[in-house]
Amino acid sequence: MNYDDEILMAYVDGEVDATLRADIDAAIAGDPALARRVERQRAVRAKVTGAFAKVLDQPLPDQLMRAARGAAASDSSAGSGNVLQFPVRPSRAPSPPWRGREWGAMAASLLLGALISWRLLGTGDGAPIVPGKDSLVAHGALAHALEAQLASEQRGDEAVLIGLTFLAQDGNYCRSFELRATRTAGLACRAGSKWQVTATDSTTPAAGHLQQANSGLSPAILRAIEARVQGSALDAEAERNAQLASWKNE
Amino acid sequence: MSHPSEEIGERIVELLPRLRRFARSLSRNQHDADDLVQSGIERAWRHLEQFRPGANLASWMFGILKNAWLDNLRMRRRRGEVALPDDSGEHPAVSPVDSNTEMWSVSEAMSKLPEEQRVAVALVLVEGLSYKEAAEVLEIPMGTLTSRLARGRTALAAALEDGTPP
Repeated sequence: MNYDDEILMAYVDGEVDATLRADIDAAIAGDPALARRVERQRAVRAKVTGAFAKVLDQPLPDQLMRAARGAAASDSSAGSGNVLQFPVRPSRAPSPPWRGREWGAMAASLLLGALISWRLLGTGDGAPIVPGKDSLVAHGALAHALEAQLASEQRGDEAVLIGLTFLAQDGNYCRSFELRATRTAGLACRAGSKWQVTATDSTTPAAGHLQQANSGLSPAILRAIEARVQGSALDAEAERNAQLASWKNE
Repeated sequence: MSHPSEEIGERIVELLPRLRRFARSLSRNQHDADDLVQSGIERAWRHLEQFRPGANLASWMFGILKNAWLDNLRMRRRRGEVALPDDSGEHPAVSPVDSNTEMWSVSEAMSKLPEEQRVAVALVLVEGLSYKEAAEVLEIPMGTLTSRLARGRTALAAALEDGTPP
């Protein structure tokens, strides 16, 4: 009886029934070549199984223990290779987004606000930003991109580019974006089922570089992010998960 | 009686050594492996409602880790293997905990297998799942599992025996 490798593999793995096992046992006894083939299968199995056994005895990283118990990862990601880090200011005293020396920026922003009021802001279907109850909210293509687009899957030629996604101190998600047509960068934060546009800036750098932390973000937007961010930006995985959860942070 | 989600947390803690081992067999080093475990666990917590009470938590977690691993690979590929922080040399492929040459050589050989074969080998040979359990985790028929497993093992045998006396 000739047994193929797949059968011998199943034999070695204990996945054959008693009858077949007895047949193979008997065949091995009288066939040294078959015995060698079985031995070879056993050796690979033992080698692969044994190779990773040591991992079981290693101490468990605290970070994984916390994650296992359901802790949010955002505060424990320092040093993790795949998470983009912000240059968060050492002082984390609560500060209003625009204060003191940032009046200049605020004035610029107000001016921008005035500019966007007729360039971007509108009530028509195509307007990316529309007035909400007491704030500006994303609309149309911008709202759609904020809702559905993942920075990790952008080609770079979309009308709206998503930059960084992060959790704000108030527990809501915020995402930086760029409207390519008007070269406007901005920051929008989740408020209920809408995206509130909390900052805009028209002095945006070249498109397509927003994926990298700190590169391509205008200083005004970066300041707006710094004022809100808790921890660090989400990596691609976390961004996708947040999107899957409809930007609800439980 | 503990709160159900607290109980799940403790059960995931109990599984951690195996999740790390499984992830290690799919990754090039323990650092990448732990990143994978972390993102898998976070994903599990976000989708906890999809876990059927009474189902096998280990199998469910292996499935989530497998998906997270594949997503990660695809993402890197889409980026054209743009240097990610963990490829920067800060985390050498062989870290002190990995200096075990046996793990290193098997890990190297596994990294050359096609993804679907690697996952089959990891579940059955590294984690000791039965064919039936592994096929369920991967949501593939048994016959598909055994053929992937056989091809993966043949390639591994050739790679690992290379340079050593027959």
